[in-house]
Amino acid sequence: MTARTRLVKELKELSRSPSDDISLQPDESNIHKWKAIIKGPDGTPYQGGIFRLEIRVPDQYPLVPPAVQYHTKIFHPNVHFKTGEICLDILKNAWSPAWTLQSTCQAIVALMSDAAPDSPLNCDAGNLLRAGDVRGYNSLARMYTAEHALPK
Amino acid sequence: MDASDNDDFSNDVQSDDDLGYYTESEEGKQDQGVSEAIWYVIDANEISAVQEKALQDVMGIMGCSRSIARTLLMHFRWSTETLFGVLAERDKDELYKLASVTSRSTEIPSCSGSQAEVACGCCFCDVPREETSDMGCGHVFCNDCWSQHCKVQIKDGRSRKLPCMGVKCGAACDEETVRQLISDDQEILARFDRSLLESYVEDNAMVRWCPSVPHCGRAIRVEGEVHCEPECSCGLRFCFACGEEAHSPCTCEMWKQWKEKCHDDSETKNWMTANTKPCPKCGKPVEKNGGCNLVMCTCRQAFCWLCGAATGTSHTWTEISGHSCGRYKDEADRRIDEAQRNVKRYMHYYTRWEAHMKSSKAEAETRTSTQEKIAALEDNTSLLKDYSWLSQAQEQLFHARRVLGYSYVYAFYMFGNAMFREEITPDQNAINQNLFEDQQQQLEAEVERLSGLVEMGPERIGKVEDQLRLQVINSTININKRLVNLYELIENDLLGSLQFSVGYIAPYGGKSTLRPDRATPTLTTPALPASKAQDEDLVDLTGLPSSEPALGRFQGREGLRSGDAAKRPRRSGSLD
Repeated sequence: MTARTRLVKELKELSRSPSDDISLQPDESNIHKWKAIIKGPDGTPYQGGIFRLEIRVPDQYPLVPPAVQYHTKIFHPNVHFKTGEICLDILKNAWSPAWTLQSTCQAIVALMSDAAPDSPLNCDAGNLLRAGDVRGYNSLARMYTAEHALPK
Repeated sequence: MDASDNDDFSNDVQSDDDLGYYTESEEGKQDQGVSEAIWYVIDANEISAVQEKALQDVMGIMGCSRSIARTLLMHFRWSTETLFGVLAERDKDELYKLASVTSRSTEIPSCSGSQAEVACGCCFCDVPREETSDMGCGHVFCNDCWSQHCKVQIKDGRSRKLPCMGVKCGAACDEETVRQLISDDQEILARFDRSLLESYVEDNAMVRWCPSVPHCGRAIRVEGEVHCEPECSCGLRFCFACGEEAHSPCTCEMWKQWKEKCHDDSETKNWMTANTKPCPKCGKPVEKNGGCNLVMCTCRQAFCWLCGAATGTSHTWTEISGHSCGRYKDEADRRIDEAQRNVKRYMHYYTRWEAHMKSSKAEAETRTSTQEKIAALEDNTSLLKDYSWLSQAQEQLFHARRVLGYSYVYAFYMFGNAMFREEITPDQNAINQNLFEDQQQQLEAEVERLSGLVEMGPERIGKVEDQLRLQVINSTININKRLVNLYELIENDLLGSLQFSVGYIAPYGGKSTLRPDRATPTLTTPALPASKAQDEDLVDLTGLPSSEPALGRFQGREGLRSGDAAKRPRRSGSLD
């Protein structure tokens, strides 16, 4: 089984049952490069935002996880503010081949509404939440969402 | 040599044998007081046998598969005692969960029922059921995916506790199933097996690879006390606790700091503080090369050497015009003094440490020449003669040199002001230092003496053999005794009296401890480390044609321990 066959299967599955919140598309020339667009979940400071993700699928996929990065700037404890790198266990050692690109994106959406401030990549965001300053965190995250992620 | 000497000699041979210094029969004799560290050498080809035994133990008692036994043991760092201890307190399922083992007895999650075809959750293909596997946790994937998964994991170095592919499962895969799945790739299979095998050493708190370079392939297993210095069959002696070269009597912590200190340039920095001043303009360190206190940096900035402040350039021998800094003396000077003193102190200990380490290397080289000497001597005479005393002396000398060297490292930290400042008052420290240095000096003197004795050429040895033999034997024994005393002083009185910090040193092991050939993996009681002469009282050799009667008697350990430091004679009793 190669990554390609599995990705083709995933693509078919996607066209059969598309999701409202997540749109996933491979690069036209390279099936190992994907782009995803996810919606900021309601009830979070990211609400209304449209976030672009870049996904690189290694040759050994699905035995090893894909590399996913935010392309849109986001203020979130587990996302690197500059590079968009994501700190999420299933993208590292808790990966299982049973995850798909779509379920991975779902997990990232879930991360947006449920941050883990104790393992922060963005220390400013993490510290605000750890100090209990939810209001400060919300307003900053909202500001960056408005600045970078709102559809123009 | 006159007749009376000969008489003494024959008597002494007798008492010498009583010492048991050479006799193998004495080896099992236990010495009291020093805590025993027992260790075995495990040869490369024995590791699997030793591991197998531990596995069999667990399999027998738990009634589980080899794979589960291995996973359990890895979790408990191959300590069957801990494993069974936990088993006694909790039930089996909890134990399994703790070690991320899933046994087949736990219910299998429903996985597409009993259809003939199963959808593999990895490649998303429908595959016949007989081409799928699960690892005991019920997560079914096709064999193809399993095989690739296992290979990826093994290549990434996760052969041990190879994780299941199921989402958030984390159970360890069954090793037999894994073996079947990867059986087509011999290289990966070998890697997998080797990793499992090496787990016995690497995941085991009581076993360590011999740190020899290049690696001799052996491992050392220790029972009880981990602070010991086993000697591998390849001849390397190392500290089991930290894996570094044998460094007693200094503690692992001291040794670590010393190594760092010798490698980094902290002393260079100290020297710079003591001897240079930064230029107030460019900040480069400037050394004063004579002349008056007006110093000129290479950047052409003039400054006052006394206070370091920038000045103009016009000056006389006694003052710089328009500049005065008479109040500088106190603080800055003290800082410089301190730095200079620290460098001196360090250099004192460093040079001695280094000298002994170099001598120890030299002793190691003369070992071979000693063997040649012995061969030459044995060829010379038609009589059957035993020259083992000479090689014994050489061994002892080599060991004592090292100990002496490390004792300087120990002294540097023990009596310096940093490591135990909170616990030892300056007065107590001075007493301790006296006590220690007394012993150290005695040992040092004896080592030098023996060193001189064994360096004689074979012709000369042949001539004065009888006399020399006794001197050498006595000196060897004396060194051993003094080593024991030094270790005891450190262990009991110096480190032992500490309340808060802990310092452990490997107990003195005499020369070589366990014979490697006894280090069978079977759990027979091994011969105890034989510091053979350790507790024997020394024979009274008065009347010996030796130049130094002090050899004969030695202050007992009681005398040393209870004796007040100040009152203690500087030399052993019989000299006074």
